[in-house]
Amino acid sequence: MSAFGLDKITKLFQIIKVNGGIRASLYKLYRFDDLKDGKLVGQDDFGNKYYENPRYFFGRSRWVEYAPQFNMDYDGSQVPAEWFGWLHYKTDLIPTQDKDRPKYKWMLPHTENLSGTTGQYVPYSTTRPKVEPWIPKSSKV
Amino acid sequence: MQHTIKCMISTVSKTAVYSMQKGAPQQAFSQVRFTHLRAPGPCDQRKYSPFPKAKSAGQWVVMRLDDALNWGRKSSVWPLTFGLACCAVEMMHFASPRYDMDRFGVVFRASPRQVDLMIVAGTLTNKMACALRKVYDQMPDPKWVISMGSCANGGGYYHYSYSVVRGCDRVVPVDIYVPGCPPSAEALLGSVLQLQRKIKRMKTLQIWYRK
Repeated sequence: MSAFGLDKITKLFQIIKVNGGIRASLYKLYRFDDLKDGKLVGQDDFGNKYYENPRYFFGRSRWVEYAPQFNMDYDGSQVPAEWFGWLHYKTDLIPTQDKDRPKYKWMLPHTENLSGTTGQYVPYSTTRPKVEPWIPKSSKV
Repeated sequence: MQHTIKCMISTVSKTAVYSMQKGAPQQAFSQVRFTHLRAPGPCDQRKYSPFPKAKSAGQWVVMRLDDALNWGRKSSVWPLTFGLACCAVEMMHFASPRYDMDRFGVVFRASPRQVDLMIVAGTLTNKMACALRKVYDQMPDPKWVISMGSCANGGGYYHYSYSVVRGCDRVVPVDIYVPGCPPSAEALLGSVLQLQRKIKRMKTLQIWYRK
């Protein structure tokens, strides 16, 4: 069976079954350009789901499936800081397992990159400027 | 003690008053409010189009046409082969199979006439600046620029050199700045994705319709 690579075909059907049928698999392919089977490791506050399957090689064995509300508008900055380390193989412990993580009252909830929207960061100076700009006198019309 | 605190308060208030008079932060904030799209909440259901709900049928049509136009533009961004220094090596990595820029429709072209994006990869010297500007002027509209690496962003390591332009934004308008020395191929990939998001927000036909 495996000599002819036929086990790969059974694997494909298995993956489609795990992902919830042909329709759901096609939708996942459309959204993520990828179809994998894996163990659901956890979920963050936004609803992003984190998966792991050591059968895939290192670097591809952990991945995130973005929450449905993000639709096609997902990007890497939507992964919150507590999951970043696990996803990038900095640690093997998921946030709920790790007791040593700093947790302070002043820590804000994670925000994604909001550049180009009204939520974007606009830098401003809090010191008095060293240079006084020349503002030309306009004649009142 | 009391006196110093008083002094501090007075200087702070002075600064605040000064910045209010000049209107520096106010101006920036109000501009953002008028020109930018509303920030989506983390739990809002997002649609494909980044534009808000249309107020009239004509606007709706123009918005959808814009969506189609932006889709075409964002899914075939062709950059110019414009490597200036060591950042170009990372740009080559971005082109090679591991990061595979072709899957985003990003294909290097050798002629500026066939190009919509210029990746300024590396130190921009004074001698190269006029060539860069000339090549930029030869690109057809719409065109975008990614400034890659700290040298292109603001001179970087060569900021105090006599022969280096302190940032390529002194010569061409820049859309995306990628930090790093050199930025990883992954960072450049991220910048291209950010540029795609920016292209998706373009209002070419909507502005034409307004006029």
